[in-house]
Amino acid sequence: MIEQILHSLSLFLPETTLTVFFCAAIIVGLVAGRTSRASLYVALIGIALATWFAIQQAGSSEGIFTGMVVVDPFATFFKLLIGMSAIVILLFSLYSAEVQSTAHRHIEYGSLLLAMTLGMFLMAGSTNLLMMVLAIELTSLSSYVLAGYTREATDSSEASLKYIIYGAVSTGLMLYGVSILFGLTGATDFYNINRALATGSVNATALLVATIMIVAGFGYKISAVPFHFWTPDVYEGAPVTITAFLSVASKAAGFALMMRFFKTCFIDANALGLPAGMWASLQGFEWNKLLAILSVLTMTLGNLVAVWQNNLKRLLAYSSIAHAGYMLMGVVVLSDKGLAAVLIYFIVYLFMNLGAFYVVMLVANKTGSEDIDTYKGLGYRSPLISVAMVVFFISLAGIPPTAGFIGKLFLFAALLDAKWIWLAVVGALNSVISLYYYVRVVRNMFLRDPERNAEPVVFSAPQVVIVLALLIPTILFGLFYSPIVELANASVVMFGMK
Amino acid sequence: MLEHYLPIFMMILGGVLFGIVMVKLNEWLGPRRPTEEKLTTYESGMEPVRTARERFSVKFYMVAVLFILFDIEVVFMYPWAVAFRELGIIGFVSMTVFILILLIGLFYVWRKGALEWD
Repeated sequence: MIEQILHSLSLFLPETTLTVFFCAAIIVGLVAGRTSRASLYVALIGIALATWFAIQQAGSSEGIFTGMVVVDPFATFFKLLIGMSAIVILLFSLYSAEVQSTAHRHIEYGSLLLAMTLGMFLMAGSTNLLMMVLAIELTSLSSYVLAGYTREATDSSEASLKYIIYGAVSTGLMLYGVSILFGLTGATDFYNINRALATGSVNATALLVATIMIVAGFGYKISAVPFHFWTPDVYEGAPVTITAFLSVASKAAGFALMMRFFKTCFIDANALGLPAGMWASLQGFEWNKLLAILSVLTMTLGNLVAVWQNNLKRLLAYSSIAHAGYMLMGVVVLSDKGLAAVLIYFIVYLFMNLGAFYVVMLVANKTGSEDIDTYKGLGYRSPLISVAMVVFFISLAGIPPTAGFIGKLFLFAALLDAKWIWLAVVGALNSVISLYYYVRVVRNMFLRDPERNAEPVVFSAPQVVIVLALLIPTILFGLFYSPIVELANASVVMFGMK
Repeated sequence: MLEHYLPIFMMILGGVLFGIVMVKLNEWLGPRRPTEEKLTTYESGMEPVRTARERFSVKFYMVAVLFILFDIEVVFMYPWAVAFRELGIIGFVSMTVFILILLIGLFYVWRKGALEWD
């Protein structure tokens, strides 16, 4: 037993690192004094190290701590993704006026970002219902505080409160679903649940009710309709850095956990006569139809409401809801190809969405506003940043030659492959709607004259470097996409599933 | 399947009814001879100066939360202390790590000024 735990600890190195650095961030921050940035640097080093250790685990596939958590290529992929976005967010924070104006709370900012990253690392690897709920809670509790970080701003406190209330309700629903599922199968381990369901002695109605309730918990994390109500308010009220983090990393972790839950619990591992890479669900329980409905609702509502938004943060909030809808399409198709498409989409989404939020943050730093009117004539006041914004936006809309196109291409290819034609059509129509509101911002930047006597907006060298670091992959992966496709194809492997 | 839960529902119903019936019976059967002394808040204690339903300092809240936090942590230490010899070195190391994490918390609270009243 002891040997087993010690062996598990050696594979748990990324998470242990995050825990140690969490404590270190508090101590260093307290010793260094009230206005020191030390905690942010400690958090940066800790997350970079943890991500490095996670990369070292590439290729290993093993269940640890008696099957509570697994280390497999799928988990490692998401740890890499979450770690990278956390590093980018910390770099953003060093240049964010909102975060820097509250220097006396840097300890909380750095340590809570570490705690949130730890929660998301655990979400990527959980294979037990209890671990799943714990990991979601660790992530959520840290993000509630971070959403209300600038507590002097009323809308930030409001965002935090709304986030907690919605979070509490959906976690409650999820826990109820988990308890029903446990009652039905007598197991909390995903693999044992699969075995119990495979015997076919489980009441189908009760299973459906349990699944819908558990989906409420996932839906809240990935902001899928109808669990999305918190998203616009929280995204608008929270500091931009945290908004960007929630929209990328938190969503990625939610997707990782959801895909693992559905694949390991509800897929028939012994199904015969299927083409390679396709899955069959157990005892004809068609949970993917449920997700298809959610997907259509999510992308349609996200896109239709985004059209009316004049605040860029709200616009990006609805756009991120719509993107969750697109990515759900990849889960619906029940194939390795669909799963790989979601992973590809996430790599692409990381760069383009973080980039868009970063530009919004830079402009808000200078002008103090996120309103669409502030972007009038920005193309003439700050050409480089505006061109970058255009690239991020056309990538989000999915137009070649940007990376966003590649992400959508693989999603639609997987859909057509599995004969989900009607869903692909809905997805394509939605992309057309989304083009309108993205281009609206672009039009304001380049086709509208700036206010009279508007000064050119100048950004410092490190800020421009960060923009370029996000801009170059957005274009590069649109043209040269084989590395990310290979990475995604290698990462669809989950422990214990063929 | 639902009929298996019938005994539980009856138990809940019985419990609620029993509570209500007992309170009401007491009210109905018990003798009531109120005097001025009996109706005061603390019969043999201090005279209440004014109503207790007023706003009080948020500092009390901070102290209460900290008390609960560290109090619960002591609850974990009691069983450890009782089984100290049986747990051996592993128990000792685990508890040391736990107490160190507590100390970081205490250090944080201290430096943030939550222990000072003003």
